[in-house]
Amino acid sequence: MKQLTGPAYSIVFVFLLSITPIASADETCMSPYMAKIVGQEDFVYIWTLGMEGLGDEQDKLVTVDVNPQSENYGKVIHSLSVGGRNEAHHSGLTDDRRFLWASGLDTNKIFIFDVHTDPAKPRLHKTISNFVAQSGGVVGPHTSYAMPGRMLITGLSNDKDHGGRTGMVEYTNDGEYIATYWMPTDINLQGAVKSGSFADGYGYDVRVLPRRNVMVTSSFTGWNNYMMDLGQMMADPEAMKRFGNTVVIWDLHKRQPKKVLDVPGAPLEIRCAWGSKNNYCFTTTALTSKIWLIYEDESGDWQAKPVADIGIAEQIPLPVDISIAADDSLLWVDTWNDGMTRVFDISDPHNAKEIYTEKIGAQINMLSQSWDGRRVYFTSSLLSNWDKQQAEEGDLQYFKSYTWDGEKLTHRFSIDFIAAGLGMPHQMRFGSYALYAKKRPAGEQNTVSVAANY
Amino acid sequence: MKYSFLTPAVLLAAGVFYLGPVATLHAQAQHQHDAPAQVLAPGYRVLEYHAPQPGTYQLPPLGRAGTGLVLDENGRERPLDEFFGDKFVVLSFIYTNCNVVNGCPLATFVLGQLKQRLDADLLLRDQVRMISLSFDPDFDTPEVMVKYGNQFNRDNYDWRFLTTASTEQLQPLLQGFNQSVQKEYSETGEYTGVISHILRVFLLDKARQVRNIYSVSFLHADTVINDIKTLAMEYDAGSAGSAARSNAPADADRAGRRHLLGLPGLAVPENNPLTQKKIRLGRQLFFDRRLSHNNTLSCAMCHIPEQGFTSQELAVAVGVEGRTLRRNAPTLYNVGFARTLFHDARENLLEQQVWVPLLARNEMANPSVGFVIERLKSLPEYQGKFEQAFHGKGPGMETVGMALASYQRTLNSANSPFDRWYYGAEENALTEQEIAGFRLFTGKARCAACHSLNSDYALFTDHKLHNTGIGYLVSMGTRDDKIQVTVAPGTTLMVERALVTVASEPPPNDLGYYEITGDPDDRWKYRTPGLRNVGITAPYMHNGSLGTLRRAVEFYNRGGIRNELLDPLIQPLGLSEDEMDSIVAFLNSLTGSNVDDLVADALSQKVGNVRQ
Repeated sequence: MKQLTGPAYSIVFVFLLSITPIASADETCMSPYMAKIVGQEDFVYIWTLGMEGLGDEQDKLVTVDVNPQSENYGKVIHSLSVGGRNEAHHSGLTDDRRFLWASGLDTNKIFIFDVHTDPAKPRLHKTISNFVAQSGGVVGPHTSYAMPGRMLITGLSNDKDHGGRTGMVEYTNDGEYIATYWMPTDINLQGAVKSGSFADGYGYDVRVLPRRNVMVTSSFTGWNNYMMDLGQMMADPEAMKRFGNTVVIWDLHKRQPKKVLDVPGAPLEIRCAWGSKNNYCFTTTALTSKIWLIYEDESGDWQAKPVADIGIAEQIPLPVDISIAADDSLLWVDTWNDGMTRVFDISDPHNAKEIYTEKIGAQINMLSQSWDGRRVYFTSSLLSNWDKQQAEEGDLQYFKSYTWDGEKLTHRFSIDFIAAGLGMPHQMRFGSYALYAKKRPAGEQNTVSVAANY
Repeated sequence: MKYSFLTPAVLLAAGVFYLGPVATLHAQAQHQHDAPAQVLAPGYRVLEYHAPQPGTYQLPPLGRAGTGLVLDENGRERPLDEFFGDKFVVLSFIYTNCNVVNGCPLATFVLGQLKQRLDADLLLRDQVRMISLSFDPDFDTPEVMVKYGNQFNRDNYDWRFLTTASTEQLQPLLQGFNQSVQKEYSETGEYTGVISHILRVFLLDKARQVRNIYSVSFLHADTVINDIKTLAMEYDAGSAGSAARSNAPADADRAGRRHLLGLPGLAVPENNPLTQKKIRLGRQLFFDRRLSHNNTLSCAMCHIPEQGFTSQELAVAVGVEGRTLRRNAPTLYNVGFARTLFHDARENLLEQQVWVPLLARNEMANPSVGFVIERLKSLPEYQGKFEQAFHGKGPGMETVGMALASYQRTLNSANSPFDRWYYGAEENALTEQEIAGFRLFTGKARCAACHSLNSDYALFTDHKLHNTGIGYLVSMGTRDDKIQVTVAPGTTLMVERALVTVASEPPPNDLGYYEITGDPDDRWKYRTPGLRNVGITAPYMHNGSLGTLRRAVEFYNRGGIRNELLDPLIQPLGLSEDEMDSIVAFLNSLTGSNVDDLVADALSQKVGNVRQ
């Protein structure tokens, strides 16, 4: 048997690892169809919201060098402004990891960045501006999820009323529209079984379990709410009635909904277990502040049940990003309002237990970990009109790097995105030279100076 | 030349668990984890679920299959697409030296299974061609490919084993199928013989379109064969959503001119008579999201036809980029009869009014009139339409206003059960409770003092402004430390206000009519809205703070909110619960008979979105 050698040592492609339980990390939160970085990542790409009155005020893709061997370690090495504020939010890589799709929840633009030609300097490859027209009215492109040779984009809203009814839209990796799949509603269940009180047709995240032919979607709220000032919204009882209360189980291959489950209180991120017998996924409800288990029962039917409280609901901790370990033992949960990251032991998925908390900043949203689970990165921004207005210096809009030793986090470095004139950092994705059988150029220099204080 | 092929059969004989390059990679990546066992991909095993039944789903086209020059088994150069078109094609990129069990050997194994199954299927056996195409032209010559193929295809099924003449000839094929491959070199620069790639197998239809792409996690003979059968059965199903809208001819012009029982005659400015062309153009503009600066908001996004031409999902509307507004989007039903416009009555003509939301920074946020006009001129859907509607005049400040005003003047609704009872002398058109409610409305409850009726028509408004105390309370009232927030149906929490205001801009103040006149006596006065269709235009009051008609009636029964400028017409009413129920019943009888027609007409207009 031939042994692999050479510069590709830090990566393994998806066909090798997709069914192999090892390590833990954010890489495990992504599509099982996607190539993975299993060694030291070189870069974190941060999809960043432009902020009125700061720097060039535009959305941008910010590249941070995170390889401790690099002379640029801990520095912003590249920043690419895309024009306008689009409510930059989530991003996702194609299955071959050559392109990063990053979308705007407000303007519905999808920016496709080439991250393989020069992983240190992503460039804008293509912009999809007609997402709404092509999809037949889906608004708010959210999750960009890698399918084989194509991308599945979840929506949050629609062009009829800016409410929460929405669909999912599929594109080829080239950015060509394929199809729209509307979420099942009371009026049109599309053959799905409504198992509880709700079939709201709302959307948010998507994950798949290919070996069970299962796709799982969650439900947030429409443009009206996610674009609205948070305080205004919480005081608006009509608006507060318009949050998703459902998780939908789909036939993955057919892209058809099978069962609508009640999960009240805005279920957001979905993370599915990796173990070959672990037929379950987790989600957290933003408003009711619980961890929910979405699982296949002994009879092969899919169910939902709450398995832990996250903080105290009255204090509106607002669980946001979550991350599952690849050995299915831990679930990381960030709670936006108190700025805490929380680690839950999920080795018994029906009985999750909080085992560790750490305050990261005045607010917190996304977290990403290395494949080995030892490096953890955090960013601060949730939504432009929900974010906090004031905090201690460096604690409001930040990128922070930590290491995790299995028991505690240790701070490594931080970048204050306001002091750097960049904006509000949101989703992080990892980059690596080794993914493309490339080597780090010798003597590479920091190419972007961080904005000076003024 | 010496070579050997690692066939799936050999691997299967070696056992289910396979310690492959993964372990090696891990060691080199300096992981201290124990090397994990490699699990064989699903394609080698019995499928864990039942593959979906053929014909019960669709496989939308993923684009045209790529092509380029290949070498066939005889070393003859041919374009790859010569092999497409007459049959369904299952195409797999491989290289014969590939020894990663869940890579090329998996693809070839599954194709082998497929071949057996197709061979046994009389209907499909002659309809499918399989192609294994090498992406290693340096090693995989036609001769190598023939030998490789002979291991799997001894019985001459239509399974081709192709390669290319050179790396250069391979490139367009890789690009055409988006297949990324990289040769791996050692640190000393020697080619390791390994080519990293994402495993992809493609299913092509007879129109040379890619219809499915399989990767390791779900490549399985059961699935592929059902997909081929699905293509063979090819059928069409309808789509859902606003895409269904199709610019049906407007019936709105008829609605605009038709006399409706209970309404007065419609006064239209002399310089802007209603015409079908203007109404249709206005309707198109009304639903065009490109009329906002960043293409996200049309008039109809806040004045939503299915929601009573208001927004029932928000107390207070939301502007471009989520900017905060102060007031509820008023319904547009019967707006053509309004003498003043906006909650604070600051405008008096629809033709002028339309420019305020178009230009307001916290509404549609267009930077200038010229910006809107130039955008309209650039949109192909409007070419010639203004000129046809306005005797040769193109898009301009005046014509945009006239077109939008014309459409809005058709949103007239009446001939309600109340109208048929009161003006049409249909005795049974109202229930006893509704009649009792009407008696209270005009009597004890004093509603008609402001929501007035005439002898031959009713708009249920005095066209004046009043202080009910709602605005006063927002500006001057003290705020509780805790607010009640319903976080899910049936789950209401008392939340510290400070927990949410930390992430909030200070709510903007609202002084009502005073902002127009500067007269302190006009503080917190707002326009009396007409009540037609009030049952379908919740929530209520200028700030949408009352969610139901019942709550609005209770508010007035309490005498509004006391303040020094409270309108003297507003007094505690002493209504019983039954009486309040009757008034609500009466209000619900004011829904016009043509609501469904107006909504259907609106929904037949295609929504304007960015096309390119």
